[in-house]
Amino acid sequence: MLRVSNIHKSFNGVKILDGITVDISKSEIFGLAGPSGSGKSTLLRCIQDLEKPDCGMIERNGKTCFMFQDFQLFPHMTVVENLLYAPNLTGEKNKNEQRANTILMDLGLESKKYAYPQELSGGQKQRVALARSLMINPDILLCDEPTSGLDVATTMDVVLLLKSVCETGVTMVIASHDLDFLTKISDRIVLLKNGKIVVDMNMSKYDDPINYLRKYY
Amino acid sequence: MEKAFSNFLSIGAGLGVTLQLLSGGIFIGIVVGSLLTILRCGNCSRVCTFLVDRIVSIVRGTPLLLQLALIYFSIPGILGIKLSTISAGIVAFGINSSAYVSEILRAGVESLPKGQFEAAQTLGIPRFYTWKDIIMPQVITSILPAIINEVIALLKETALIATIGGMDVMRSSQIIAAEQYEYFEPLCMAGAYYYFLVFSIERIGKKIENRRSYAKG
Repeated sequence: MLRVSNIHKSFNGVKILDGITVDISKSEIFGLAGPSGSGKSTLLRCIQDLEKPDCGMIERNGKTCFMFQDFQLFPHMTVVENLLYAPNLTGEKNKNEQRANTILMDLGLESKKYAYPQELSGGQKQRVALARSLMINPDILLCDEPTSGLDVATTMDVVLLLKSVCETGVTMVIASHDLDFLTKISDRIVLLKNGKIVVDMNMSKYDDPINYLRKYY
Repeated sequence: MEKAFSNFLSIGAGLGVTLQLLSGGIFIGIVVGSLLTILRCGNCSRVCTFLVDRIVSIVRGTPLLLQLALIYFSIPGILGIKLSTISAGIVAFGINSSAYVSEILRAGVESLPKGQFEAAQTLGIPRFYTWKDIIMPQVITSILPAIINEVIALLKETALIATIGGMDVMRSSQIIAAEQYEYFEPLCMAGAYYYFLVFSIERIGKKIENRRSYAKG
C-alpha cells in the first residue's frame, strides 16, 4: 500500500532521516514510535509530500490524508463547513452533506455541527480533524501525535475511533511518542532513533511490547 | 451666528472632494496592495519579490507630499497627459496607501500558521481557493483594525490636496479664514468635519469587526 525506500532528509546540515525503508500493507495500523526529534513527523510529512526528501523514493498506492498534531481546523468555518469545504469543490453537495451527517453522528459530534473550532475541547477538535480527513475518502491516513494533550479517557476514545476507521479498509500510519497508546492500537510498530529504524516489530509476536520497546527507546 | 452657519456650509462643500479622494485612494490602495502582497507572498520568483519589496520600500520611504507633487506636476509633462487635481490626488493617495496596505496584508498572511496552507494542501484544495476561502478571510479578520487605521490616516492625509489646489475641507476652511482674517472658527469647523468622518469610520470598523469575530472561544 505504501512503500518508503531509503529516505534521507536533512535540515540545515542536521540529518533527520537517515535511510528509512518500510513497506506498509493495506488496512494495517502502523505505529511510528520514537523520542522527540527522532524524525517521526518528518517521515510522515515526506509521505504526505509536505516535505521533499533529499533522496529516496515513496510509492503511495492510493490517496493520503494528513492529520496534524495541532489539528489545523479552519477557524472561520463551523464544524460542518470544515468537513464540507474540500469535498464540495468537486463532488455532489447533497451526497457530501449526507456523508458529513453520518460521519458526525458516528463520531458523536452531531450536536457540534454548527460550532466553531474555538468552541470545542481538544478531544472534539481531534474528532473533527478525523472527520474532515475521512470526508475525502483517504486510502492512507497519516496521524501526527493524535493523542498529544488529551487525557487518558479521551485517548482511549481515540484508540477505538482509529481502530473503527481502520476496519473500513483505511491504512494508518500513526506517529506518537506515547508507547502505551501505540501498543494498544498498532498492528506493527517501528521505533525511530536519530533518523534510523532501531526496532521493527509485529505486535502479535510480542507478549510485552512496551518493555521491549523501552529497552531501545 | 448666521455667518458661522454660512461658513460651516461653505467648508462642508469641500467634503465631497475629501470623500472622493478617500474612497478612490483606499480603493486603489486595497486593490494594488493586495496584488503586491500576492506577488510577495504567493511563491513568485525572487526577482519579482525583490522588485515589489523595493517599490513598497520607496513609496513608504518618501513623503506623500513629494509623491503628490510628482504625479501632479511632473508625470503629466513626461507622459503628455493632463491630470485634474482630484485624479492626481486619487492616484497619489492610492499608490501611497497600496504600499501600507501591502505591508499590513503581508504581516497578516505571515501571522497565519503554515499549517493552514498545509491543511488545505492535504485536503486537495486548489491554490486559488486556498487563498480565497481559507487564507484571506482569516487575514482580513486579523488585519481589520490596521486597515481601519490606514483609512483614518489616509483621510487626514487627503488634506495635502490643498498643496496642488484641490478644494477639500481643509482648503475651504483656509480660504474662508484668509478672507475673513479669522482663523480659529473655520479651522475648528474643518477639524469638526474631519473628526465626524473619523468617528464614523471607527464606528463602521467596530461593527465589521464584531460581525467577523468568529474566533472568540
